[in-house]
Amino acid sequence: MRFFSLKRFGLLAVLVVAVGLFIFITNHAQANTPVIGDQAIPAASPNWALAKDVSASPALVVTPPPAGQDSCLSCHILGQNKGMWTPLARWILFGGLGLVFVLGVYRSANTWVTRSPRKPFTNRAAGWIDDRYQVSEPLTKILKKPVPKYALRWFYCLGGITAFLFVVQGITGIFLAFYYKPTPEAAYTSIQYIETQVYFGSAIRAIHHWCANGMIVICVAHMLRVFIMGAYKAPRELNWVSGVLLLILTLVFGFTGYLLPWDQRAFWATTVGSEIAGAIPAIGNLALVFLRVGWNVTGETLSRFYGLHVIVVPLATVAFMAAHFLMIRRQGIAKPL
Amino acid sequence: MSDIEHKTEDSIPFFPDHIKTEFYVVLGVLAVVLIIAIVGMIKPIGLGEPADPLNTPLHVKPEWYFLALYQILKKIPPMVLGIQGKIIGVIFPIILVGLILIWPFLDNKPDKSKKIYRIRMAFVIIAVITIIALTIWGEVS
Repeated sequence: MRFFSLKRFGLLAVLVVAVGLFIFITNHAQANTPVIGDQAIPAASPNWALAKDVSASPALVVTPPPAGQDSCLSCHILGQNKGMWTPLARWILFGGLGLVFVLGVYRSANTWVTRSPRKPFTNRAAGWIDDRYQVSEPLTKILKKPVPKYALRWFYCLGGITAFLFVVQGITGIFLAFYYKPTPEAAYTSIQYIETQVYFGSAIRAIHHWCANGMIVICVAHMLRVFIMGAYKAPRELNWVSGVLLLILTLVFGFTGYLLPWDQRAFWATTVGSEIAGAIPAIGNLALVFLRVGWNVTGETLSRFYGLHVIVVPLATVAFMAAHFLMIRRQGIAKPL
Repeated sequence: MSDIEHKTEDSIPFFPDHIKTEFYVVLGVLAVVLIIAIVGMIKPIGLGEPADPLNTPLHVKPEWYFLALYQILKKIPPMVLGIQGKIIGVIFPIILVGLILIWPFLDNKPDKSKKIYRIRMAFVIIAVITIIALTIWGEVS
């Protein structure tokens, strides 16, 4: 196996780019905070002329210690020693020793290679784990499980797309949560901050917004596919039930997430939505108070919806998704008509 | 329960064959996500006016996926069969969701005929058209 295979290099490049994007997005934001009602705030470029002035200011000038105290450092900072031979001799001495060291490492590495065939690090790591936990046999059984060929048709991948969109929502949601502030005073401004100041902030918000809508559409399409093909019949009843619960959870995601920007549309959509919940006989008022934390939509409602949207509903969704997938694995994909 | 086991000749291994096709689907979705990201950079989604509890806007609407339900609630007559219309408008979808939830236990005959399949197909088409019509009606009204 070649060491620099294209696949390995590509995987590594994707990893590096992902980590770089993560560091870039989480560590860089321009310093000026936007003002409410002022949408277009030009990104101010740093004033380099000012920065130069600052570095030349007397406060930053390094003063060397007196020559009597540390003659070498004093001479170094002031740049008084113009002799060439001392550094050259040092370079030759230490550089030569370094080259000898590198050559020795190279030689001994060669000897080691000739003693036993070189195994890639990943193989050795996998072997190390397998020696201790005996995972390779069950893992092979899981990975080599036969999947029927009819499952390759396009309408069988709708469920997988929904699951992938959930992952996308999770990742972009974490990025948004890094900057979002769930209080009525700061929510609106923090979304403006994400859109105008955070690097790629508007892109991440756009992905989160549109993939949320797309997830509902594809989730419903997946359900209709299963219904039309009769795949919910015995022995897969519980899979259908968990799927319907997942659809309801997706809708709860949409309902709770819609309030978070805290603009007029969000506020009144939530007011109307919780009013519908309040119209349920017998438990209506309980549901209304649970959703609104009181009789009106306030900052408490925002906190509750944020908690539901970010902690409760994702945990429930992951649990039901795991059950959904495990049941599919156990029972296989239903036969078409 | 015979359809759980698959014959080896008409099946492929989960890894790498099936995973590979899933991976291509994921790449396709990622391409769409990238397009959304680029469009989002050029034209951000933006925000409306800040929330103001004292100022009710003219057209209050929920999200598009609740619009059909909201439209039913808005257009239902105040009294139906001696019960308040609003209560019926709320109870009806709850019963519907409950029915959908326990549907496999109601339709539990292992029938795989083409006829039943066509009936289900027609039912889905009618339901989808109704919901889309209600949503569009709610959007324009």
